[in-house]
Amino acid sequence: MTCAEVDDRLDDYVDDTLAEAEFQELELHLAGCAVCREQERRLRSLLAQAAALPRELAPARDLWPGIRARLGRPGVLPFSRSFSGVGSWLPASLAAAAVVALAVAALVRTPGTAYGPSQVSAFPTGSSTEAAGVLKAERDYAQASAALLAALRERPERLSAETLAAIEKDLLVIDGALTQIREALAQDPSSGALNHLLASTHQRKLKVLQRVVKLSRI
Amino acid sequence: MVRRAQAGDLPAFEQLHRENVRRVYALCFRLCGEASLAEELAQDAFVRAWQKLGSFRGESAFSSWLYTLTMNVALSERRSRRRRTSRIVATEDPSVFEKPGDTRRPEVGVDIERAMDVLPPGARTVFVLHDIEGYRHQEIAELTGVATGTSKAQLHRARRLLREVLSR
Repeated sequence: MTCAEVDDRLDDYVDDTLAEAEFQELELHLAGCAVCREQERRLRSLLAQAAALPRELAPARDLWPGIRARLGRPGVLPFSRSFSGVGSWLPASLAAAAVVALAVAALVRTPGTAYGPSQVSAFPTGSSTEAAGVLKAERDYAQASAALLAALRERPERLSAETLAAIEKDLLVIDGALTQIREALAQDPSSGALNHLLASTHQRKLKVLQRVVKLSRI
Repeated sequence: MVRRAQAGDLPAFEQLHRENVRRVYALCFRLCGEASLAEELAQDAFVRAWQKLGSFRGESAFSSWLYTLTMNVALSERRSRRRRTSRIVATEDPSVFEKPGDTRRPEVGVDIERAMDVLPPGARTVFVLHDIEGYRHQEIAELTGVATGTSKAQLHRARRLLREVLSR
């Protein structure tokens, strides 16, 4: 993948909407290209600033008097002052969805720090003396993935056959990539790029599972 | 509170306004970029909400319903304003963002809210909806009446321009 191609796909990469094969290619490019990594850093910084903007801003004046005056005008009346179904506003499924959302949040946080893109470096990398740390991190990821898969199996009726097939396809590609990376790491255990790739591929798998759990929650 | 307002209880509607006005105003301000216009749009949104209150069925949170309605009000105003005037309000060239006599030190950088002023309206809308409000391209396409691909292209354009401005 060239730098220009990376630039074209960087939005999808940071938004986590890139197809699996392209994701892997782009990850490999980033591991070896400082210029593109800087572009990625700037983009993530922009998105972090956007996300940190306050959700509320106070207007310079009280807007209610102007609104109140307009509500009194002829023709400005509530569309309808009565409707049926008031007593059943909060269906049980909403409460159930909230419980599932909380469970998913707890599940994905269980393994510790190595989930957000900015925390990829928390995944043990480098010398063979850190091999035990890598193994533990892999176990943590595997536990989180298994827990999410178990959550999915508990409600198979929530997913269409088409969605299930797409998930299985994605997971197969990711598991294949993990196997290849582990084999390469066995040859070169101190490779920072390979360790980075291993961590991000685990994250990718978790994200796929998280998305599916979200999709199936109501 | 919502049920009371639906029954025509004005103090209850005022309470709903008090609880939501800062969020509604923030959305309007970020979509249009002008404080006075944002105030007008926020007022329009609450008047529209009062008129449509009977159609709120409680299938989502009242605040979500109100924000969607606000977005429609703000986007509709933008469309009609665009029809009324051909005034150019934005540019592809971030250098025009440097106003003559601007004494800010370049290394200080610019605030993202201010940097958004450089964005053309379409790119600004998509950036606000996608990167600040968290909508997906499909949802933005439905809200704004553009194709999903157009939404993605506008976002790419917005992010590129903002990175250029903010990295100075």
